[in-house]
Amino acid sequence: MEIRGYNMPEDLYYEQNHFWVRDEGDVLVMGMDDFAQILAGEIVYVQLPEEGKILKAGKRFAKMESGKWLGKVYAPVNGELVAVNEELETNPGLINDDCYGKGWMYKIKPEDKGELDNLMHTHEELDTWLAEDIEKYVKE
Amino acid sequence: MDETVKKALLDIVREENFSDSLIDLISDSYDASEHKHRPDVAVWPQNTEQVSAILKLANEYKVPVTPRGAGTSLSGTTVPVQGGIVLDMLRMDKILEIRVEDRLVVVEPGVVYDQLEKALDSYGFFFPPDPASGVVSTLGGNVAVNAGGLKGVKYGTTKDYVLGLEVVLANGSVLRTGSRCMKCVSGYDLTKLFVGSEGTLGVITEITLKVNPKPPAIATCTAYFDDMADAGSAISETMRSGILPRTLEFLDDQCIVALNQGTDLNLPEVAAMVLAETDGFTQEGADYEMDKVIEVFERNNARGITRAYSPEEAEHLWTARKSFGGVITRLKNNFIVDDTTVPISKLPEMLTGVKAISKRYNVPIATMGHLGDGNLHPNILYDGIDPEEIARVRKATADIFKLGLELGGTLTGEHGIGLAKAEFMPLEHDEVAMEVMRSIKRLFDPNNILNPGKMGLEV
Amino acid sequence: MEAKYNFADRFGDQVLRCSKCGLCQAVCPVFGAMLRPSYSARGKMLILKEVMDGTIELSDELIETLFQCTICKSCFENCPSGVDVPEIIRQTRRDMVQIGSCHPAFEGMNEVLKNHTNIYAEDEPEDFERERNKKAKYVYFIGCVGSYREDEATMSTLDLLDRLKVDYTLIDEVCCSGVLEDLGYQINERLARKNIDLILATGAKAVITGCPYCSRTFNSKPQYAELNDKGIKIIHVTQFLKGMDFGVKTDKLVTYHDPCDLGRHCGIYEEPREIVRKIAPRFVELRHNRVDALCCGAGGGVRGAYPKNSIAMARRRLQEVEEVGADVVLTECNSCVHNLSNAKLRKQKFRIYNISQFINELMEGTE
Repeated sequence: MEIRGYNMPEDLYYEQNHFWVRDEGDVLVMGMDDFAQILAGEIVYVQLPEEGKILKAGKRFAKMESGKWLGKVYAPVNGELVAVNEELETNPGLINDDCYGKGWMYKIKPEDKGELDNLMHTHEELDTWLAEDIEKYVKE
Repeated sequence: MDETVKKALLDIVREENFSDSLIDLISDSYDASEHKHRPDVAVWPQNTEQVSAILKLANEYKVPVTPRGAGTSLSGTTVPVQGGIVLDMLRMDKILEIRVEDRLVVVEPGVVYDQLEKALDSYGFFFPPDPASGVVSTLGGNVAVNAGGLKGVKYGTTKDYVLGLEVVLANGSVLRTGSRCMKCVSGYDLTKLFVGSEGTLGVITEITLKVNPKPPAIATCTAYFDDMADAGSAISETMRSGILPRTLEFLDDQCIVALNQGTDLNLPEVAAMVLAETDGFTQEGADYEMDKVIEVFERNNARGITRAYSPEEAEHLWTARKSFGGVITRLKNNFIVDDTTVPISKLPEMLTGVKAISKRYNVPIATMGHLGDGNLHPNILYDGIDPEEIARVRKATADIFKLGLELGGTLTGEHGIGLAKAEFMPLEHDEVAMEVMRSIKRLFDPNNILNPGKMGLEV
Repeated sequence: MEAKYNFADRFGDQVLRCSKCGLCQAVCPVFGAMLRPSYSARGKMLILKEVMDGTIELSDELIETLFQCTICKSCFENCPSGVDVPEIIRQTRRDMVQIGSCHPAFEGMNEVLKNHTNIYAEDEPEDFERERNKKAKYVYFIGCVGSYREDEATMSTLDLLDRLKVDYTLIDEVCCSGVLEDLGYQINERLARKNIDLILATGAKAVITGCPYCSRTFNSKPQYAELNDKGIKIIHVTQFLKGMDFGVKTDKLVTYHDPCDLGRHCGIYEEPREIVRKIAPRFVELRHNRVDALCCGAGGGVRGAYPKNSIAMARRRLQEVEEVGADVVLTECNSCVHNLSNAKLRKQKFRIYNISQFINELMEGTE
């Protein structure tokens, strides 16, 4: 769905640093949202840690860069990193082309899917959040 | 250029392999010669299918196509004189196969010579021609001009090693020539037709090359001569002394002056310096041949003969020859380097003749070359500002060609005709030969789109 | 006749001396990665020749090549005609800036440094858990890449200095702004002043820096002359660590990548190797090393302006690491570490470190 001009699909959960999470049953898929990919510009590097890495909710576990920006990637839930999108190694621009589809970044086996409730999900939550961040980050 | 053509090219190679930007059009206007002309567009094909589609398109719209490798031609061979498309082959740069058991390699045309040499090293093999531009020139370019090199004396030139080709013809059809065998006499030898055809009969997209086991033993020496004719005789006598050195290089007094000005080598100001190298599968063999070389040199009044007894010493002896390229432009801003080649026995006459031409037109000429196979490289030096000087340079160049031809030689031993020697073609080839060449060109390229304006074949 | 542009005035004779031989194509990292003739030194000189003879003018159309050069100096080292392409490029960039034709990333960097303390416009540096601006014998100057992109490597180096009981302090450093001189601009005087004042206030006799670009800037640019005048030595961390014993070794196969700014620009090739050989008896050289070292692709502003091409260049360098089968690549330049690390593929199992960082890890027993 479109919120304030950005594509923010309804069925996803959003972490405050602008990463989305999709529930795919056993596994959660994670990526960067439309607002962030537009703000960052063309992504040139995504760190892809080894599978098996233990993730702690709220802790940084990877980094990524565009030409002018370094971004820290924080784990949205507790769990284990089980897969990474290897396409991003030679084609990180996929995140800009298709951030919810081909540009997915990480797959996580969650300790407790209930933790998804800690992320933003409803239209009002997203709307308020985007309004704040547009104010903060989007230059005229 | 028709927008339809540009769009069609974009469809074939995609945006990242297409450019009509000013910076690319300018860079592609030039090679290593004095000639220049802007193309309309540059494309970098990735495979044979794309080359085929591009030529089919160009043939239909009658757009000139100039293939390009590293752009180091000294004759203007890759300058797009009639505009059109520059077909930059650099991105077709894979070594496809190395099969030392069949004594062959298969490469794409954009493979750099040095790249192949390094890959062959671990197998104990090498690709003999060794052009001086080998650090950057591509095998496609080497084959298109039948490049020579430093080891031509013993090992011959590129044509002696091309077993087969894949060539895209003007109408886009793909031709395979030759075979993967060491010997093949089946049908016409189409391979030899394309080698040295300078991109005027087809675009080479795959090359099968014969390779040799690499002789591990080397012997090197340098010698000075107070009389240039002595140096010439020394070289021609060496070539009939019963042995075959792999390298026989020559530097005249002008080269030595330039080297002394531009480096701290402090060479004796003599008439000529010669470098000889022999190789073999045993050190005894290489040394035996070197002994013979030195005997001949001594008989021809050589002095200061220095022989290398280690790879470091050999490298040191090569410094003068290898540094020459770096010092020419310290003498004068510009130079034209030619590669007039004569029968070995005519070397003394040719060398003396070139000196006389230099004097006649008051134009400095520094002559070096692979004299072991009669291949001179007269470097005609000039400032390039005064039109009167340029006129004298042109006359000197023409006289050198004429002298070489009079002595039974050829306009070019290894650099190709391109643009630089196009006007002199009729001096070397009679009307029968010229007409046969034109007919062949018309057969392969009825619309004259393949590297048009080269080799003096335009009527 | 007066040349229209300064580059023609100062270097016109050199531009004309380019004989178009094309040998620079064998060593130019931009050409080597992109295989585009307009990117090589020859391509740039041919374009400038046409500017000089009036066929074209300097314009935005030329940005893509004139601002895409890592200033690695490989072309100059290999040019038979001795054409100093890096100097010509620097001057041409200044001429381009003067006519208002500049790459937006470079213009951006100049603007950012007018209002920020670093090239990334970041407001909060890592504190590295250490006090700043104390009185000490040495100042350790980190540099922008070390502070904001390679904080782990920097932390390791600082830990090493602590282990060696070096009496040093960090300062509230700001960008040395030396990079601006390569991009067509000038060192930012305000920032230079700040650095000088902070350094002087510590009473230090020497500044150690991990970034060879910073050390070159402090040593050679007139805006920092006061440091030399006051007898303050500027040394790169490899010069500082040379001769020390660390008491650790690794049995891994180790190689060394010469940063352009330390190697070709300063002639420092052996000191880092002495250190590496002490801690890594199994040492192997990369195919292209010392004066022939292949540039990682980050310099001259290229990582900021053309990041994808920059990483492609780094990937080419890493192929040489694969070739020699090294387990570890050492260097001492955060910019190189950053670009090479970004370029490394997952299937490439070797690790990339600064020498100082690696020594610390060995001492910690965690490598």
